Amino acid sequence: MQRILLAIVVCLMMSQIITLNCNSVEPDEFLQNPKKELRARNISKNVRCLVCQNQSIDESSAHLAKDLRILIRRKIIQGNSDEEIYSFLTERYGDFILLKPPFKIGTLLLWVLPFVFLAVGIFVIFLYNNKSKKLDYNK
Amino acid sequence: MKKNILISPIILFFLILLVFFYLLITDRNPSELPSMLINKKVPAFEAKLLLENKTFISPGEFENETTLVNFFATWCKPCRDEHPYLKKLSDERGLKIIGINYKDDSKRAVKWLEKLGNPYSSVLLDSNARLGIDWGVYGLPETFIVNSNGVIKYRLVGPITKKNYNAFVLKVKEVEK
Repeated sequence: MQRILLAIVVCLMMSQIITLNCNSVEPDEFLQNPKKELRARNISKNVRCLVCQNQSIDESSAHLAKDLRILIRRKIIQGNSDEEIYSFLTERYGDFILLKPPFKIGTLLLWVLPFVFLAVGIFVIFLYNNKSKKLDYNK
Repeated sequence: MKKNILISPIILFFLILLVFFYLLITDRNPSELPSMLINKKVPAFEAKLLLENKTFISPGEFENETTLVNFFATWCKPCRDEHPYLKKLSDERGLKIIGINYKDDSKRAVKWLEKLGNPYSSVLLDSNARLGIDWGVYGLPETFIVNSNGVIKYRLVGPITKKNYNAFVLKVKEVEK
């Protein structure tokens, strides 16, 4: 039984229905140094592919994504820090290229508004609760 | 008081509906991104030319007159549709247009310009997309309007067509002022 299960899993993996590591990074892009390669992969996961827009460049097989992956690796080899690479990208493509928007004045509403709504919601529930309790007493 | 509470969600719902409907009918492209380079100096770069054995050095080449920078490639169908309008801008308005041949085969690009005419004052090679990345390009064609001080004033993502030609000329005139 176990063997059959194993065979099924292997088949599924080979047919790419199950993939352990879903990405589009091509073998010729890999860096020799595994630490540097890991840094490149981590940066790529935070960078939006501007062609597919809801994929990171790590997942996308668009040409622009590949160009950006190669560029990021070249910058790492040149000794740039992660911050330098992110700012290089945002200077050219804007904050939109980051999958996680940065916390700054322009994005303050985006980050704070959910908490404001939560507070308002709790307040409204609290208010209603009090009112209905009072109504019950009147009965 | 109770009536108000009952009605307000309905009003809110219709307000939201109105907003969505407005966004639906207005002519906009949600995937179009604003350029980060607007009101900034053109990037500094060096590039080889397609037709001459020379090197193009930015930003020196962007002074004195309003210039268009057009990213194109022979594999890009909308670029072909756009080409006659670039020709028109260069022939009729005498605009200086710098073409950047993005990730393309040089032989094909030369043939394309021989066949369709060459509206460009110079054609730069960008075989590895480095110039494209410096200019924040994410889809071809893209056209930038650079003023006589070498400052980028406008970017058009997508082709210049019959539909937007006049609007584009107006933008150029605005920058020329």
